[in-house]
Amino acid sequence: MTPSLNPAVTETTKPALAIRNYSLSYRTANGIVAALKNIDLTIGKGQTVGLVGESGSGKSSMAWSIMRYLPPNAVEDGGAIRLAGEEILDYTPRQMADIRGRRMAMVFQDPSTSLNPTIRLGEQIGEVLMRHRGLTKVEAMQEAEAALARTGITRPKEMLQRYPHEASGGEKQRVVIATAFACEPELIIFDEPTTALDILTARQILDLFNQLREETNVSALYISHDLGLVSRVVDEVSVLHKGGIVESGRVDDVFRRPKADYTRQLIGAVPNPDRWIGIDAPANPDPLISLETIGVHYNAPTMLQKIFQPKEAEKAGFWGAKNVSMEVRKGELLGVVGESGSGKSTIAKVLAGLQDFDGKLQFDGKTFGSRKDIDRAYRRRVQLVFQHPDASLNPRQTIGTIIGRPLKLYGIVPADKVATRVAELLEMVRLPADYARRHPHQLSGGEKQRVAIARAFAAEPDLVICDEVTAALDVSVQAAVAELLVKLQKETGTACVFITHDLNLIRQLAHRIAVMHHGALVDFFDGPDARADDRDPYTKALLDAVPVHADMEAFDVA
Amino acid sequence: MRDFFSSPTAVVGTTLLVIVLTAALFGPWIAPYDPQAFHPIARLQGPSAAHWLGTDQFGRDLLSRILHGAPATVAFGVFATALGVGVGSVIGVIAGVSGGWVDSTIMRILDGLLAVPDLLFTLLIVTMLGGGMEHALLAVAVAFTPGMARIARSAVLSVRTRDYVRAAIARGESGFYIVSCEVLPNALSPIVVEATIRVSFAIMIGATLGFLGLGAQPPSTEWGLMVAEARQFMFRNPWCVAIPGLSIAMAALGFNLFGDALRDALDPRRSH
Repeated sequence: MTPSLNPAVTETTKPALAIRNYSLSYRTANGIVAALKNIDLTIGKGQTVGLVGESGSGKSSMAWSIMRYLPPNAVEDGGAIRLAGEEILDYTPRQMADIRGRRMAMVFQDPSTSLNPTIRLGEQIGEVLMRHRGLTKVEAMQEAEAALARTGITRPKEMLQRYPHEASGGEKQRVVIATAFACEPELIIFDEPTTALDILTARQILDLFNQLREETNVSALYISHDLGLVSRVVDEVSVLHKGGIVESGRVDDVFRRPKADYTRQLIGAVPNPDRWIGIDAPANPDPLISLETIGVHYNAPTMLQKIFQPKEAEKAGFWGAKNVSMEVRKGELLGVVGESGSGKSTIAKVLAGLQDFDGKLQFDGKTFGSRKDIDRAYRRRVQLVFQHPDASLNPRQTIGTIIGRPLKLYGIVPADKVATRVAELLEMVRLPADYARRHPHQLSGGEKQRVAIARAFAAEPDLVICDEVTAALDVSVQAAVAELLVKLQKETGTACVFITHDLNLIRQLAHRIAVMHHGALVDFFDGPDARADDRDPYTKALLDAVPVHADMEAFDVA
Repeated sequence: MRDFFSSPTAVVGTTLLVIVLTAALFGPWIAPYDPQAFHPIARLQGPSAAHWLGTDQFGRDLLSRILHGAPATVAFGVFATALGVGVGSVIGVIAGVSGGWVDSTIMRILDGLLAVPDLLFTLLIVTMLGGGMEHALLAVAVAFTPGMARIARSAVLSVRTRDYVRAAIARGESGFYIVSCEVLPNALSPIVVEATIRVSFAIMIGATLGFLGLGAQPPSTEWGLMVAEARQFMFRNPWCVAIPGLSIAMAALGFNLFGDALRDALDPRRSH
């Protein structure tokens, strides 16, 4: 028992937030669905508690319950939520409006949607100060500037005058955090504040969070799906699974000695760079496909522009990829790593024949100089799996039709054998054969991604490009999908280009890793050499920014 | 679709639509009188046991005339819309799928046509072609085409950049397969919904043209024409204007509400 979980202590000091036996459900077309079951959670003064769970576990419902901002179909089934000892379930909407922002604040996942795009950043911070602290406009602006300065923004005065689109993702999240801290609230809820940000920016925001927490001694609830990250910032952690808390305690205890099966499973699923799950490197490193000085110019100037305005044409658009040369070997798994906008997806699109490019693509003795040269034979042998399985499967087709399509298109099996082959493919990706009759919306995210993978392997390709295939999935599902890919690679000998932003994951899988930055290939090395001294500074920065809990590295999954 | 009838809009819309369609399909057979039969002693009467909805200036039974006029009026709306939606969708899909200069050219021409108000546009066409039901129908269809093309194009555009379409391109599918199997099935629902709503506009424009004497010609029982003919007797018997007017309103409202409800039901965020 930790001090704050001890009832005797909580009664005397009144924790910042106490949730007792709280349940919540939603009325839906399919009847009542329970979202939260008998939640008990205590956040002591100045403490940070992490709430970890996968999508659908009820983490966001918890956040909105505390903020008292639930949709009309929510039904609360009793319990108590106390803010510094006051029962806020009994508060009127008016009273709550007064508390939100002043005594409780929230930081959202995506700063680009949580800021109003038509209002200057300064006014968005000032609004809160004027509303809750009764400052005048001038005072509010001064205070806002100070608040921004505390979040490490270099020129706060300038930032106040900007609109959200004129700031970067990290700057915007700093503004949101500054707003949350502006009225010195007792409790701040962080709802996945770094998920929408790049690795390096996320790291900075995390450091900022730790620094502000020490300065202000605020209590915080930190909601995340990322165990490694949570272990870095919180004192205590509660693991949420299907609406119930399955385990809670001090963060080190939970990670070192998880009691619940689910927690163990979650920790086991977190990618650990030291645990190799990939296949052995191919014996003969023959190149399968090579990219020669590939360039992609988005919004490229038109011929007319080049003739009439040569100067402007030079600067028009931007290069999604520039001078990228690399080769993929037969049967290997090549990892391509980079932040968003680094050009890694551009390379995927070029390889899949979806993007016009400059330069040359060599594949099996043939050279393709432009997208239009790419023929169907190439398209059969190079298959692409997309990031979002919801978007890559046609919602109006059955799974059978979707997987059967490449079989028919390329004539891989005779027409009367298609159904049998579809069943085999479903089995290969560990899905029941009767899924062939279902539609995509009847499947979970992980299952859909398996279908997308089955469709890619149905074509019996030589190369499968996986564009962030695990990014939209939950941690436990991610691990399963990665393992599935490795299994399929082992069975078919197909080469794979695995594009990701997750360095820990890729180091478990890839024989070689390419690092991209601003459209250029900055580093290219063999998997085991990731920590070598001659790595590019950018690679080093990326590696250092990835959250790995020290104890988790030592944690033995068995 | 399962809970389609859970919304009041859907229930009211469907009820009105059923009444109107019943009249359109069976009207001529269930009408109590010949719609053209004069009853000189019972002119301009209000509702009575003999004439449930009253009579017009020649003593013709209004109920019978409404029931006889229903097929023409509703068919006008449905066919004019079908024609306009059909042509418009084809143009829109072509523009949306081809993109580039084809798209720009088609859309700029349509923008020009859209700048002219529907009714004015219809009037222009009818004036050029001459009156009559067929010409009015054609005029309404032409007037609907640009709007429908826009809707079809935007539906196609929103689908065209989806990953499953890109997946099809990456597989090397033919353009025909991509359009017919991947794009169209997913772009269809906004088009269908818009079409249902437009039927009500078509009925109203048809009635307006009839009223202006540019659509159906006497002694037709088209509803708009009935209003026009009875106009001068409005103060002696308001029923002979109100009844066809209300019929038009009912048909328009029925299609409109049904279309609204259909849009809500087909919205992927609401279903499943």
